[in-house]
Amino acid sequence: MSLDELLDIADDSPDAVLELYAERGWGDGLPLVAPTPARVDAMLAALGEVDPDEVIATLPPRGGEATRRVVAVNAVLAGCPRECLPVLVSVVRALGRPEVNLRGVNATTHPVAPLVIVSGDVVERAGYNAGLGAFGPGNRANATTGRAVRLLLLHVAGATPGPADASTQGGPAKYAYCVAENATATPWDSYPASVGVGAASAVTVHCGEAPHNVHDMESESPAPILDKVASAMTSLGQNNAVIAQGEYFVALCPEHAATIAGAGWSRRDIASYLFQRARLPASVLRSAFARRAWAPWMEAAADDDLLPMTGSADHIRIVVIGGAGKHSSVIPSWGMTASVTVPVEP
Amino acid sequence: MKIYAPTGAVGGWSTSPAPSIPVLAGRRIGVLDNGKPNARLLLERAASQLAARTGASVALVVGKSVAISDDACVNAATPAGEATIERLVKEVDLVLTGSAD
Repeated sequence: MSLDELLDIADDSPDAVLELYAERGWGDGLPLVAPTPARVDAMLAALGEVDPDEVIATLPPRGGEATRRVVAVNAVLAGCPRECLPVLVSVVRALGRPEVNLRGVNATTHPVAPLVIVSGDVVERAGYNAGLGAFGPGNRANATTGRAVRLLLLHVAGATPGPADASTQGGPAKYAYCVAENATATPWDSYPASVGVGAASAVTVHCGEAPHNVHDMESESPAPILDKVASAMTSLGQNNAVIAQGEYFVALCPEHAATIAGAGWSRRDIASYLFQRARLPASVLRSAFARRAWAPWMEAAADDDLLPMTGSADHIRIVVIGGAGKHSSVIPSWGMTASVTVPVEP
Repeated sequence: MKIYAPTGAVGGWSTSPAPSIPVLAGRRIGVLDNGKPNARLLLERAASQLAARTGASVALVVGKSVAISDDACVNAATPAGEATIERLVKEVDLVLTGSAD
């Protein structure tokens, strides 16, 4: 992107940018901050001495090249604090990984959106909310990082509803879908450490549905809480239902996590229990879905066998998010995608 | 005043479709079942009708092989694996694929 590609605009008001961009089919429908060269340069300064025009990832279906400068332009548009830019660059790096299957994520009729989970030192440094209402409004870092990811998908990946994004109903998670891991309330290692990423800060990208609530106010031991999680995992309408590679992120609230860990359970214990309990009879799954993406051993099941909702306990991921109260959530993946965790690097 | 456009350049890997085959008589048609419901039924029927009208033949009907990882299952949303692509390149002249929901 060179200075030759700058657009003329009468003034830098949000209305003027919105109108200019809308004429070209850009934007998410909300007012935008004008990405002037001065604002973009100031945003890029957050990355230090790096090449602003290096291509971080090429994003399908458009095949747009996401350089640091392009990421910074979209960060300015979204209203991001500068401290969030390294997170955004890292998210783009993760979205470019083949196992994410971004072409499918952007093109499907399903309402999938990439959920960004921010972990480590950058959570406090950039002001992300890992506590009460973390998935909701009111925090600039969460809101603008999530929004900037969507703007990058619209502008660089070309995931425009209609011509490219065929999502039947769309979904609110397609506006902004960014939270932080509640490290202080996590009774285990951080989520990135649990998947082998030992960096001081990391981002996880999980392309999934909106959170499915899990409410348990009364249980004082792991099993009754996790039985409700298993119940949320076994709905037939989710895309994961007959896809063996599908992942489930279980976002435990701190109080549920404390109850479970207090009984001596590890993340692995939780995943193993849910793999065992989140099951439906093979006959039910077969009658609901003529085409299935099961592993061969699942196809061999007898009709009265109970089949797990995913092919491996490794596909059930546990992270602690939120504040006081007893509501957790399950976030099923789109199915034909795998989550990715990468260090936060400029 | 001036502002940036938000899109960035289009990358080099973006490809354009192969040119159409001018005469189909004697050519071999392949069907790649992309995994969507009824895709094979629809595409096989379209291939048979195309062959009957043009003098081509239906030479190969295949599904996808796994492309992304050992853990992935064949499904509608993932690319066909190299083994499938190599077989199509070798055994047919054109491919029908891409049924949607």
